[in-house]
Amino acid sequence: MRPHEETISVGGIPVHTWVGGQGDPLLVLHGAGGNRGWRQWMERVAEQYTIWAPTHPGFGASGDAEWMEGVEDLARFYLWWIDAAGLGRPHLLGQSFGGWTAAEMATMSPGAIDRLVLAAPVGLKPEKGEILDVFYHSPQQLRELNVHDPSAIPEWEELFGRAPTPAELEIAERNREMTARLAWKPYMHNPRLERFLPRVSNPTLIVWGREDRIVPAACGERYRRLLPHATLTVLERCGHLVPIEHPDAFARLVLDFLGGKARP
Amino acid sequence: MKLYYFSKMPHHEYPDEEGAHYPSLRLAFPNRFFDRTKAASNYQRYLTEYELADRVGFDGLMINEHHSTPSCVNVGANMTAAVLGRTTTRAKLLILGNILPIEDNPVRMAEQIAMADLISGGRVLSGFVRGVGVETWWANTNPVHNRERFEECHDLIMKCWTEPGPFRWEGRHYHFRHVNPWCLPLQKPHPPIWIPGTASPETAVWAGQRGYTYVPFLVPFDIARELFEFYRQGAAEAGRTVTPDNLGFLICAVTADTRAKALEAGRHFVWRMGPTLRGPVEWFSPVGMRSRAGKQFALKARPRSLATMSYEELVAEHFIIAGTPDEVADGFALVQRELGIGHLLLEAQESRMDHATTMRSIELMGAKVIPAMAHI
Repeated sequence: MRPHEETISVGGIPVHTWVGGQGDPLLVLHGAGGNRGWRQWMERVAEQYTIWAPTHPGFGASGDAEWMEGVEDLARFYLWWIDAAGLGRPHLLGQSFGGWTAAEMATMSPGAIDRLVLAAPVGLKPEKGEILDVFYHSPQQLRELNVHDPSAIPEWEELFGRAPTPAELEIAERNREMTARLAWKPYMHNPRLERFLPRVSNPTLIVWGREDRIVPAACGERYRRLLPHATLTVLERCGHLVPIEHPDAFARLVLDFLGGKARP
Repeated sequence: MKLYYFSKMPHHEYPDEEGAHYPSLRLAFPNRFFDRTKAASNYQRYLTEYELADRVGFDGLMINEHHSTPSCVNVGANMTAAVLGRTTTRAKLLILGNILPIEDNPVRMAEQIAMADLISGGRVLSGFVRGVGVETWWANTNPVHNRERFEECHDLIMKCWTEPGPFRWEGRHYHFRHVNPWCLPLQKPHPPIWIPGTASPETAVWAGQRGYTYVPFLVPFDIARELFEFYRQGAAEAGRTVTPDNLGFLICAVTADTRAKALEAGRHFVWRMGPTLRGPVEWFSPVGMRSRAGKQFALKARPRSLATMSYEELVAEHFIIAGTPDEVADGFALVQRELGIGHLLLEAQESRMDHATTMRSIELMGAKVIPAMAHI
């Protein structure tokens, strides 16, 4: 099932988007590392859902959004974008920085989305420990810190096996700049999010890697406590890039959750 | 050509091998190595050296500010200016400078600079800088806003000095509904503005458009000339004529009674060039702080980092000028001929360059070098 690329504009910003699959729409929001394209876990999930995977404004091949000041702006933008893309009431899945964005969207407009999947989202300040300061570390260091065991990652070679081209470095820099624009201070969290999460009515699946060195796994427990209809699954031998590190297990969890009838 | 004496007020008062354990002396080197007693006496010492520089005839005393680093523990440039405003009598006080993007209250900054100008009898030269990335980390200011905040902070300070209050300021980064500072500079309409440069073409153009004095720091001559070209472009856009009075340059310099002594003293500057500039690029230039153009120019401007150069190479490239008074006077004249500048800023001190050596260097500059500069 080959995906295709589209540009969907809203609010004057062209948004580069991967689209593929069949079935009900699932909006996928990427992390701070940018849109990594059509990945193995998506291939699996796309057998039953139509995946819409946009590149955030200010990232990759999407347009600039220098007016944005925080993740709440991005969340508001994606609520417009759902309408612009004609997705109706999609399921929403976000990873890390995209997970935070997804959580904000659910707090703003729970009725605009169906089920919610959060993979190692930032957004909450850990009760113990700290979210790693990604801007303080080099891209090389982050590549190590992001994952638990590179040798166990099926797509490692494809994603990280060669030196990036100048164009890819330029995009990586652009992604980091936009992330800084949105998440520099308070760093990678919204102090008020804990007030909003209890109003989210959507069934929610939270997935975390036990060995996450970017966002402490205890944040998953915190999200679970604050969201009224959430379950938390912690994957062993898994770092921060949950869907990349364990594509099959992650896809299975997502499919089971989205196909489930009853609220957890 | 005018000469300026500059002390970074360093705190090189710890075993070097301790500093070498950390990725950088900035941000990460723990402050348990800060020696309070030594710092207290050093501040006295550094101020005494500044005061001698005033008496022997330096045209100006340059003051700067850094944070979270032993390379410079002058953590409040305006405080130092206020102190020197009382204890010196004739030299200009070149604050180079206040770090605008990390300032959250430009009105307070406008007041403080004005107060230093009043205390000093109108001797302040007010430099504005964007800061190195370390200061952005220290203040936790978003680096992607660095240039915007620099410009907006500047605009608000200038408005404080040039337009009668009360007025309202509602910009992108600064919001004040009642601006009416009851402290204005003695110099009318305001102290002269100075801008340093290390690599950013945009800053050079911006300074040229406004006719501010522009001073590259420790770059090769050809890069300084290129930055001055950007400055001239900006000046031309605004229909301004550029004279040597608009242009300055900063180097390290020391003199002594003999060449051997001076060269020995000058060796201390290697610490400033090397260990204090060591560290991850993410700390010195956090993401988004520099434009793409600035980043590319920076790579060109620093084909080799100062940190990798030997003392002999630093001397050969004129980043450090050390010698007898006649020799340093010749060196300064060479810099003037190469760059056509009207102001030469001398970083002339390091904490391990002892007080007596520093004082003797200042005396000799006053007796023999400054008079020689009067004619160029």
